[in-house]
Amino acid sequence: MDFSLTEEQRAWQMKARKFAAEEIRPMSLERDAIANPLDTWDWDIIKKGSKLGFRTAVVAKELGGWGMDYVSQAIVMTELAKADSAISKAFSQCWKWSHLISMACTDDQKERFLKPFLEDDTFVIGFGQTESNGGSDNRLPPPGDVRAGARLSARRDGDEWVLNGEKQFIANGSVGKLFFLYARTDSSVPLAEGVTIFMIERGTPGFRHGKVYNKSGWRFYQNAELIFEDARIPDANRVSPVNGGLKKDGDSSGDMFGDLELAANGLGIADDACESAIEFARTAEQGGRPLKDQQLVALKIGRMKMLTEALRSYVMRVAWEHDRKMHSTNAGLVMNLATDTIQEVSELAMDVFDRGGMAMSRHADKLARDAFIWSHLAGDSVQRLKVCGRVLN
Amino acid sequence: MYNLHLSEEQIAIRDTVRDFVNEQIKPVTLTPARLEPMDTPVDLDLVRAASELGLRTLALSEDAGGAGADTLTCCLVAEELAAGDTDIAAVLSRTAALGGVLFNDLMNDAQRDTFLSAFVEDADYHLALADQEPDADSSLGVNYYREAATDAPVATTAKKDGDSWVVNGTKIRIANAPVAKLFAVVVDTGSGKGVLLVPADAAGVSVTPTPRDGGWFHGSFGDVAFKDCKVPAGNMLGDAAVSTLTGGNCEFGLPQAQAINLGVGRAAYEAAVEYSGIRVQGGRPIIEHQAIGAKLADVAISLEVVRDTIWHAAWVADNPASGADGNFPALPRAIISQVVTAEKIYRAAKDSAECFGAMGVMRDMPLQKYIHDARVFLHSGSGVSDARLRVAEALAGFQRS
Repeated sequence: MDFSLTEEQRAWQMKARKFAAEEIRPMSLERDAIANPLDTWDWDIIKKGSKLGFRTAVVAKELGGWGMDYVSQAIVMTELAKADSAISKAFSQCWKWSHLISMACTDDQKERFLKPFLEDDTFVIGFGQTESNGGSDNRLPPPGDVRAGARLSARRDGDEWVLNGEKQFIANGSVGKLFFLYARTDSSVPLAEGVTIFMIERGTPGFRHGKVYNKSGWRFYQNAELIFEDARIPDANRVSPVNGGLKKDGDSSGDMFGDLELAANGLGIADDACESAIEFARTAEQGGRPLKDQQLVALKIGRMKMLTEALRSYVMRVAWEHDRKMHSTNAGLVMNLATDTIQEVSELAMDVFDRGGMAMSRHADKLARDAFIWSHLAGDSVQRLKVCGRVLN
Repeated sequence: MYNLHLSEEQIAIRDTVRDFVNEQIKPVTLTPARLEPMDTPVDLDLVRAASELGLRTLALSEDAGGAGADTLTCCLVAEELAAGDTDIAAVLSRTAALGGVLFNDLMNDAQRDTFLSAFVEDADYHLALADQEPDADSSLGVNYYREAATDAPVATTAKKDGDSWVVNGTKIRIANAPVAKLFAVVVDTGSGKGVLLVPADAAGVSVTPTPRDGGWFHGSFGDVAFKDCKVPAGNMLGDAAVSTLTGGNCEFGLPQAQAINLGVGRAAYEAAVEYSGIRVQGGRPIIEHQAIGAKLADVAISLEVVRDTIWHAAWVADNPASGADGNFPALPRAIISQVVTAEKIYRAAKDSAECFGAMGVMRDMPLQKYIHDARVFLHSGSGVSDARLRVAEALAGFQRS
């Protein structure tokens, strides 16, 4: 057992903490308050973060990236999320799919996509999975049901594939330059046997984004519809074997990253809630005494801190397991723990900030709205059941 | 006898309001055009339509031209209205409750002569209680179980000048202030607290609407400033007004406020049940999956429990002698109901929204609004933590002198 960080991990942490405090925090509430969902995104912060390595951090050193390990990834996501959870996610969403490029792409694809990704500070990536017909069904496909799940159709035409259909709620949908896609290449079989993964670039004729969703939390981070009307991509953009997109074998660390990502990001929300509530309890007064002198306030903050530190321990353990390529149910479980923890902690923070009928602190309000996103970004029940499946089987 | 079997008349009123909400309010309020903007003022056209249905003068006695509804009936109406829109419910519920207590109980004949006909006839005539002041500490908090006064001194003064009162001071975050035509203003008369009737159009009254930004209130809030505002001496209400309308343990209007919160929970629940019966994932409507079914059962159970506590509190308010014979534990039922309602409805709104997947957080859908509305209730008044402390004081037999 050794909880200390290496020098390199500590350096990433300090770099992220500084960037978060100096660049992200000052813009967080302002961006959150922008009413039009199309206008919440800010390229300057993405460029600044990119130059510091936060966009391309997980690409291997030999491929031109920074080769950040999982422990550092967790730490950086937490530090950035402590200033703004949605902005942290905007960066780590790129990590999620650059994991996939490194893991599953051919040399040709790496040349065509990884190189520009590394060179362009505004190159962000997305993944199109959800459709109106299939949210939970994509994550936990019902066996034997050919109708369930993604229906974006990819039809082979010589050396090309022709895409038709729509995706919805797609992260970075309005700003991404490259998207991975789940497409149905055989609609006569259940989802798990008929899906292929492709890559499509922004600007491909027949491919555009539709509406940008207006979310109550995570407002900086843009989710959009993706629309495909006879969009043609070369077979060279195919990432998985035909009909093999959901057949997992070998290393699936890219997949596990998603759960760790959300848990580590959530930890940032919990940290922010604790710190701001503690600061408030120390400085705000009632009846001439600081709020912290009240037992109910102290007990709430004690619980917030307890839950937050428990989450931190679990997040760091999962990151440590990932670095050792240990596969366990812990990644899924820590994601679920994060959902429960950050919602309770942000709600307790609102209690601490409650000033007898006055308006709620905008900061505390934002934390609760951001935390509630966790119940909705992977389908709360299906996410939990999926993990239960891993525990039981 | 304790009896919550609704009368035919109560059921008729409830159903009339439910139809009105379904036919006129929901088609306006549950649309993206209204849900998406950060700043949505109360729809006063709909408030007027509800007023013409008699909901603004609901608690006013029949003799005076109202419906003479008791607290329980007002709660039924508040729940129905809130299932369509919390802001409309809040504005009407506030005016109805104040209208009842002011005109039925607290005004003398001369005051009624002055204000009643305009109140009854003008569909846009609303009422507000101007009590909260800047920097005044209205929370219990640190004063729990301590003799220290929780009622901060009133800084707004009313000074006698011949046959007038001259009012000076500022009130903040006053429900209905921007729409009120008559304020009941809590003042310091020099010889104690008093409640003074001040028409909104009196010289020296100015109202600043509270920005919706952040939206931590329901209805229409505003600050009210009184500068050398002169009203006739006869506008001072009797002493009963002070004990009825002011003080930290004042339960006036509390059951109706919980009923609005219940309406929020019910709207979320009904939306979730409907959607869960339609949405197919995993090969069947999601309501047929245990995980969703049990979640919705919890929501339904919460609504039932909450409704019982609200109706009980309303019934006690309507039957003030009922506690005298030891029938119920001597506890503040309206405050107990506040704690149960705020916590259970918040959970219920979140659980309902979860059934909608990503759509549960989208601003063009009402689910996120239900959650926000329920969150505001967790922190309205002086919040649930304070309410719990007030129950603690009561059960310990602590009484403020």
